[in-house]
Amino acid sequence: MSLLEIRNACLKLDGKDILKGLSLSVNEGEVHAIMGPNGSGKSTLSYMLAGREGYDLDKGEILLEGKSLIEMSADERARSGLFLAFQYPVELPGVGAMSFLREAVNSRRKFLGEKEFDHLGFVKEARKEASKMFVKDEMLKRSVNVGFSGGEKKRFEILQMAMLKPKISILDETDSGLDVDALKIVSEGVNAQRSKDNAIVVITHYQRLLDYIIPDFVHILSDGAIIKSGGPELALEVEKNGYAGLINAS
Amino acid sequence: MLHDVKEDYVKSIKNSTSSYDKKHFRYLASSDFNGWPSPIEEKWRLSRLGALSRLKIKPIEPNLRKSSIHNKTIGSNIIKFVDGALRKDLSSNLPPSIILKELNEIESLEFLKKIKKSDLNNHPSTNASLSCTPSIIKLTVDEESNFEELIEITYEGGDDDFSVHPVLYIELKKNSKLSLIEHFNHKSTLVMPLQLIEVQEKAYLSSIKIYNDNYDTYNLSAHCALLSKDSKYNSFSLVKGGIFTRSETHAYLNGSNANLNLNGVYISGKKQHHDLTTAIYHNVPDCTSKQIVRGVLGGFSTGVFQGKVKVSPDAQRTDGQQMSKAILVSQDAKANAKPELEIYADDVICAHGATVGELDDDQLFYLNSRGIGKNKAREILIKAFLHDIISETVDNKYHDYIFNEAQTSLSSILNEEKIINE
Repeated sequence: MSLLEIRNACLKLDGKDILKGLSLSVNEGEVHAIMGPNGSGKSTLSYMLAGREGYDLDKGEILLEGKSLIEMSADERARSGLFLAFQYPVELPGVGAMSFLREAVNSRRKFLGEKEFDHLGFVKEARKEASKMFVKDEMLKRSVNVGFSGGEKKRFEILQMAMLKPKISILDETDSGLDVDALKIVSEGVNAQRSKDNAIVVITHYQRLLDYIIPDFVHILSDGAIIKSGGPELALEVEKNGYAGLINAS
Repeated sequence: MLHDVKEDYVKSIKNSTSSYDKKHFRYLASSDFNGWPSPIEEKWRLSRLGALSRLKIKPIEPNLRKSSIHNKTIGSNIIKFVDGALRKDLSSNLPPSIILKELNEIESLEFLKKIKKSDLNNHPSTNASLSCTPSIIKLTVDEESNFEELIEITYEGGDDDFSVHPVLYIELKKNSKLSLIEHFNHKSTLVMPLQLIEVQEKAYLSSIKIYNDNYDTYNLSAHCALLSKDSKYNSFSLVKGGIFTRSETHAYLNGSNANLNLNGVYISGKKQHHDLTTAIYHNVPDCTSKQIVRGVLGGFSTGVFQGKVKVSPDAQRTDGQQMSKAILVSQDAKANAKPELEIYADDVICAHGATVGELDDDQLFYLNSRGIGKNKAREILIKAFLHDIISETVDNKYHDYIFNEAQTSLSSILNEEKIINE
């Protein structure tokens, strides 16, 4: 059984077909990259998986560890072990980063039947994880994502990933807005979490990120479906010839 | 209706020998309560008093009952009003620089003149409370006095079918400073607090008002604030109690470099109606005024913010800001915002904005995507919405206290919505 199985996913937005029969299966321990040009349906795919309202499948099925996600709300999916790292992390003025993290982590732990963190225990744990991601204590005292730089926002996303210990993580254009140094830190953070028990799906425009997070499989998304799959060499082909060549060939 | 009551009342006390009644009669005879404002009057269009005008209410006669409510005060300097009358026996001893006294007849007339000169002239509480108050109380802070501790005023008492009329005159003399929290905890049908605030040169008044009267109470508060040169007045109102609470403030910036902050939060549920109405008159150059108002509305409640800023032709280099935001947590709640700018000077910075809406979808989704359930996510965002303004506008020392006061009301409103949604 695959960890994540997407079967023939079809989705319309405002009456327009966006996903047109997308299928993908991801096993534990694997890293998949989904590459595609603008407008191919990448962001729709990530919102659909995370369960955003209005992004319900018209047809098809999504299974996480064999269980259907279709009827689950976004928060249930997250507690079940699905994580979405946002392309544009949302600012929450007045919501302290530390208490936000604790609320999120405790929701997940409760679901897993693990003991919830008390305030002090959590602060200790969060600081430990934060230092690995070069997230300063001072950042955790601020409101979520408010006044964070582009790099800080993405580091905070990966810190959340590290603390929530999801089964499957969807990284939506995590490289956007990052300079090379920030990209390295974020990628190292992601790589540190690769294990045989979880899986990662990296959604990206560019091959650049895949120099740092090396995928096992690369898929080309075009016009709402995966038109080609292969190994890391496929990403290099995109870099060399662009998407047009691949799309025309298919 | 109160004006009928007034007539009956006048008749009934005309021949009375009690000194309380005699005193009342004097005010009644000189006052001109013209009944309740009609909804045709623009100022009362969004806050209608029809239901109140049909009630039979009469002014309460204060008696020496013991304080009935255990007020949640935070300090130890308490001034207590029961049934609209100052109760020195239940109040704390104040330092010598702060004087609390009852105005005599001549002083009362002076007070009356000042109020009548303001735009509160036609406010129902002005006329009714000047007629019916047991006495006008004046709190004076001496020149150069800087009492570091907090002073709290608690207003309580009243009964069903009675009205309560506390009238207070607060005067901060030159270079003085005072920090106040006022707690409104009446259980009468109607409360009509009237207040004149004078902040003289270089004086600074910080005042927090917590409106937490009984659920059935109408509270029509009227405040007139006069600011002199280089003075500062910071006011924050937390409106959460009563079936109908309107806090109306008219502030006159009469000396250059006066600085005014009139901020507030209302938290409304069930069938509550909460109204923050302000009028700020920039009469001289170089003054600043700022208003930030936020509301959270559940149930069938309604919220109103009406804010007028008037800049006179002389008041160059005025800076007047106004911003109101309301969040509706139920489909049946309503919020009205009516900012009004009247500017007759050229060199001014004035801005206003008003939004009414639901919670932000992107923010809700972000929280949901981290495993936080819908209700919890809403609660987090609404608390943040209030936390933001409280930390921006309330003195650091009282953040937690005010936030907790807000949170209690918020939780009960959100719980009701949860029950309905489930």
